[in-house]
Amino acid sequence: MIKNYFKNTWEGLYTILIGMKITWKHLFVPSVTLQYPEERAKLPERARNRLFLNYNDCIGCMQCAAACPVNCIEIETVKGIPTDMPDPTSKGQKKALWVTKFDIDEGKCCFCQLCVAPCPTEAIYMTDIYEYSEFDRDNLVYNFASLTKEEVQQKQDNFDKFQAEKEAQKLEAAKAKAEADAKKAAEEKAKLEVKPSNDEKKED
Amino acid sequence: MQNYLIEIFGSEIVAYILATVPVLAFIVLFVLFAVWLERKVSAHMQDRLGPMRVGWHGVLQTLADFLKLLQKEDIIATANDKALFNIAPYVVFVTTLATFTMLPFTSIFIGSNADVGIFFVLAFSGAVVAGILMAGWASNNKYSLYGSLRSAAQIVSYEIPTALVVLTMIMLYGTMSLGEITIAQTSHFWNWGIFGGPELGLAKILLVPFMFVAFIILFISTLAESNRTPFDLPESESELVAGFNTEYSGIKFSMFFLSEFANMFLIGSILVIFFFGGYNSPFGYLGNLLGIEWLIPIEQLLWFLGKGMFFVFVDMWLRWTLPRVRVDQLMTICWKYLIPYAFFNLLIVGLILLI
Amino acid sequence: MSIYDLIFYLFATLTIVSALMVVSSDNIVRSAFYLLATFFGVSGIYVLLGADFVAVTQIMVYIGGILILLLFGVMLTSNITNVEIKKGTAKILPAVIGIGILLGAVVSVMTRTKWKIHLTEIPQTTSFELGKLLITDYVLVFELLGILLLIALIGAASMARREQE
Ligand code: SF4
Ligand code: SF4
Repeated sequence: MIKNYFKNTWEGLYTILIGMKITWKHLFVPSVTLQYPEERAKLPERARNRLFLNYNDCIGCMQCAAACPVNCIEIETVKGIPTDMPDPTSKGQKKALWVTKFDIDEGKCCFCQLCVAPCPTEAIYMTDIYEYSEFDRDNLVYNFASLTKEEVQQKQDNFDKFQAEKEAQKLEAAKAKAEADAKKAAEEKAKLEVKPSNDEKKED
Repeated sequence: MQNYLIEIFGSEIVAYILATVPVLAFIVLFVLFAVWLERKVSAHMQDRLGPMRVGWHGVLQTLADFLKLLQKEDIIATANDKALFNIAPYVVFVTTLATFTMLPFTSIFIGSNADVGIFFVLAFSGAVVAGILMAGWASNNKYSLYGSLRSAAQIVSYEIPTALVVLTMIMLYGTMSLGEITIAQTSHFWNWGIFGGPELGLAKILLVPFMFVAFIILFISTLAESNRTPFDLPESESELVAGFNTEYSGIKFSMFFLSEFANMFLIGSILVIFFFGGYNSPFGYLGNLLGIEWLIPIEQLLWFLGKGMFFVFVDMWLRWTLPRVRVDQLMTICWKYLIPYAFFNLLIVGLILLI
Repeated sequence: MSIYDLIFYLFATLTIVSALMVVSSDNIVRSAFYLLATFFGVSGIYVLLGADFVAVTQIMVYIGGILILLLFGVMLTSNITNVEIKKGTAKILPAVIGIGILLGAVVSVMTRTKWKIHLTEIPQTTSFELGKLLITDYVLVFELLGILLLIALIGAASMARREQE
């Protein structure tokens, strides 16, 4: 029993020394923490952070909005008219639509990256920016469409006008066609009537 | 120092009051430094960096924190016992400060070279308990009360091994005055307490192992008296929020804080005075070598602070090494291990000194 | 009046006022803390009398020991705040007579004693002489007190043990 007592004492002190040796070693282990705003951890290659849209490349196909599970992408488009077509994308794909509104609510986005895959032009992608906190939640809705309101209005008007013109043209064309048809029919009729004479002429 | 001041001011009282000013200033500066050191040591032991922003490697961080503490609202809850609540921090701080007056910082500065020296230090560190109990009671908060009761129980029980070891050392030096104890250990480091004290001979060699035991006992028991980890049950954050200072904020909280860190230095310096020659340099002085008189006290001050800081550092080191002990373990360590060892140590040292 | 007289009166007032508060306070815990001030004042007076060892012993034993014990006792008792403490005068006549006799005795002792007055030499250190006296002239009392304390200690230990069974 008395032996146990001394053993306990010895073990108590000895194990404390072992522990102290370990902490002493750690005193000189280089720190694993980073001084954050000055030093940053290297992001992994495929890290998912804030979304970005290369507006010039977007053709407005709405595939991304359809893929998003939380519906945080809002897109509105207007068709372009032949005289005022959007420039083609950087890879030369033709655009048929003016994208008048492209809003991503980054506050809602859950970084699932489902919107990136379906994009045919690779216009939407993840960046490496992860510090974008805001004081106002509304500021987290990012508007990527670079058209001003007036421009949007103009495109809309253009399109409406174009549509109207087209409609008118169509009407006219239909009318013309009808007339032409009528004419044709008349001509046909006339031809039929004149046919014998033709034969006659041939015979001549 | 005192005599000099008495000459200047012509009044003992003014001189004595002025003589405490450096001590007070020292405590504040020391705490500012020690808190920073504690943070740094704890951080590096956990492979972190600790404060890095304010000043070079965050040295001014504690100053900033201190300023923040000063500005804080002084919260007094309605159900507190207001008078006691307000007095308690000052009781704790003043009693801690009083112990510092006995420390010989250098050969020319010692707050009071009273004959009762170490006895006074023990008495006043026991009186701190009254302040702590006051704080715990006046807070009207169960955590505070638990904390203060634990603290009181702990300090009262660990006073016994402390007193036994102190008795051993008084027997060795034949005086209670800390100044004279230091003077007894002058000239060579083999005169230090841990190497068996000033007298050469057979007794000295026989004493060495027992001095070492005494040193370890005194270290553990004073560590417990200053409520530091692994004996920090009175303010164990995981159980009692913050113990007896849960309800305190602002300047009153900083009073408790100051006295806790001042206590750390106090126990370090008591160890240094008893076992490591106080302000004495182990190798002789540069001042003697160069023949500059005034350099010697400065060197002595540096040696004293350096040795004291080393033990403060060991406290921090232990803090990040050991987990907190349970209450029953706390009492077991004290009553079943420290006291018997200290007692037998006392007997044996007494016998050795007799022959 | 020298500054030491002033300090003496300071300590004396502290002692007396806090002692009065101890008996007149409603709250037991408060009383205990007033006792702290009383003990402190008494030890201050000891210092002024040149009895530094006794003064420190006063602080060590009374504040560090007895007062803490008292506080522990008080704080661990259930129902301390709402208990009715009797403070009124119960039997005024016997009290007055008793106190009168005591006061008379004290005053007569004070006036009749031939006080040794020596202004010049105050013994600088008392602990050395005190220790010598304790171990030579008063060794029997000293040892008896030691045995008494030992008995108390053993008694406490055995009481603590009995409860466990
Ligand atoms: S990453 Fe996911 S949640 Fe975010 S916008 Fe794309 S599809 Fe929506
Ligand atoms: S999938 Fe690509 S191209 Fe289509 S709307 Fe989204 S971003 Fe634009």
